[in-house]
Amino acid sequence: MLPLILREISFRKGHTTIMLCGLISVTALMTAYLSTESAAERETKRVARDLGFNLRILPKQTDMDLYWFQGFSDQTMPEATVERLANYQGVFMTYNHLMASLRQKITMGGGDVILVGVAPTITSPDKKKRPMGFTIKARTLHLGYQVGQRLGLKSGDTLQLSGHDFKIEKVMVEYGTEEDVYVYGTLKDVQGIAGKPGQINEIKAIDCLCLTADQDPISILRNELEKILPEAKVIQDRVQADARARQRQMVQRKFEFLSPFLMVCGAIWVAVLSALNVRERRSEIGIWRALGKGGGFIAGLVIGKAMIIGFFAGFLGFWVGNTMALEVGPSIFQITAKAIKTEWSYLVWSLILTPLLAAAASFIPAMLAVTQDPAETLRES
Amino acid sequence: MLTCESLCKYYQSSKGMVKSLDEINLSVSKGEFLEVRGHSGSGKTTLLLTLGAMMQPTQGKVVFKGTDLYRLNRAERARVRSSSIGFVFQMFHLIPYLDVVGNVLAGDDGNHSGACSKSEALLQELGLGHRLNHLPNQLSAGEKQRVALARAMVASPDLILADEPTGNLDPENSKEVCRHLKRYQEKGGTVIVVTHGDAVHDFANRTIDLKAGEIIPGPLLDPQSDEA
Ligand SMILES: Nc1ncnc2c1ncn2[C@@H]1O[C@H](COP(=O)(O)OP(=O)(O)OP(=O)(O)O)[C@@H](O)[C@H]1O
Ligand SMILES: [Mg+2]
Repeated sequence: MLPLILREISFRKGHTTIMLCGLISVTALMTAYLSTESAAERETKRVARDLGFNLRILPKQTDMDLYWFQGFSDQTMPEATVERLANYQGVFMTYNHLMASLRQKITMGGGDVILVGVAPTITSPDKKKRPMGFTIKARTLHLGYQVGQRLGLKSGDTLQLSGHDFKIEKVMVEYGTEEDVYVYGTLKDVQGIAGKPGQINEIKAIDCLCLTADQDPISILRNELEKILPEAKVIQDRVQADARARQRQMVQRKFEFLSPFLMVCGAIWVAVLSALNVRERRSEIGIWRALGKGGGFIAGLVIGKAMIIGFFAGFLGFWVGNTMALEVGPSIFQITAKAIKTEWSYLVWSLILTPLLAAAASFIPAMLAVTQDPAETLRES
Repeated sequence: MLTCESLCKYYQSSKGMVKSLDEINLSVSKGEFLEVRGHSGSGKTTLLLTLGAMMQPTQGKVVFKGTDLYRLNRAERARVRSSSIGFVFQMFHLIPYLDVVGNVLAGDDGNHSGACSKSEALLQELGLGHRLNHLPNQLSAGEKQRVALARAMVASPDLILADEPTGNLDPENSKEVCRHLKRYQEKGGTVIVVTHGDAVHDFANRTIDLKAGEIIPGPLLDPQSDEA
């Protein structure tokens, strides 16, 4: 039966192409969506770490012009500040995580880097979430992409700083942001390198919930927090983070609605085309019957055709979808290009599910073909 | 070898009952070439499809080689068609995407090893040796009908049923098709042709006339060959 189906497929090229295109579109869009989505999920953690922070707490004396120019505060405050913030039982604000860090510009390999010492994340006691971000072991460094390039270092290499050996734990992927010139280490190590023991110069408070959210809360927050943290000042960076998160969620939600819709459209497309094909082949079906072929054979012709086209569509659709994901995924999902990779498991799924979708969709046309009265068509002259 | 008793086929249409076949009694013996004549609408095609296990009659029975065809289930009837009955139609009904050989072998279920060489020999005999790999749309009407003949003949069925096989052909091609049917009959096959023309007449050894679904006694009715 397979050679028969293949001949018919190549004979009615127009019909085949239209059916193929419909299924390719569905598979391609699904593949593109799913691979960008899983990339987006992988990225979410990073995005949240960068942009989901609602508050930055800086040393009071920080020169804000300088801060924005260079990306870190020139002042420091005691490490204990973060503990005090963590223990504060205020009514105005709750948080998920607090991350204290010491940021310092140093020269490394003939260029400037920002050395960031990260204290272990403090998780809010009433939240059960695991700490975000990455944990860094003592005497190891995580290099930003640009730093790695400049120094020609890769993970496993060793680097000497202030007379101590540091192991390069990893070189990060290119983020396309200032993080590419960051070097991360533990707070202790960085305090040692910078000669500022017990000091930090930034606290990020992630996922803060402000209980006065309906009016601009910044001044209230500032007053409240600066009362308990006289050595600090508070900056809220809500706008950009929210906008990005919302945009991403919107795209995601649109696709969540779109994917079943897409499948249904694809199925209807195949069903209609199959039915037209069955109509066109009425006399052929009559002849198969006259030649003594049974209903299983007739149904096999129709469903088999859909499945074979589905198989090719699965293959091509995966290819198109994957290309789409790599090309346009980064812009619509606000994620870095490197995060999207070819998900080979989706190829397997496309090759299984697209033929199945096509088979299901051609079931009714196949039944039309099987129940068609061959005598009717054969009488026609 | 083929008999039918009080065979009736009625169609229920919006304008009332149409009696397409009315109390047909017919007996065809092995090796006969029967011509069934009748005007358009007289029930010729209906008779042919009913005899050929393709259409359930409203009433009556068709006995083919000792089996009451419409007592069989659909699958069993299909098996009878595939092994013992060949059809030829006015519209040829070739499968458009299969070449000549493919069409001839369409009914073959692939377990006859000699089927391919047999079909080619048959096509040679029908003068289509140079057309084996052409598609139906590359053939003339006469050639198409000869392909259809080859398809009907290739499994060496006991019975060939032809519905206006010459209806779309010029006199020359009509004669040729009839000659091939005749040769098949002479080799021991049974042939029933329904037609409203007279191209077949000279080849048949019996002719019956059909009018409004009934067999009418005509001058050409030859009672001596009317035996089971
Ligand atoms: N589905 C149907 N519903 C109603 N009447 C039908 C149906 N099919 C056939 N008929 C009627 O049955 C009668 C016999 O039809 P049939 O096709 O057997 O005629 P025919 O002798 O083969 O005609 P022709 O020479 O034109 O092919 C016709 O009067 C036709 O109108
Ligand atoms: Mg007819």
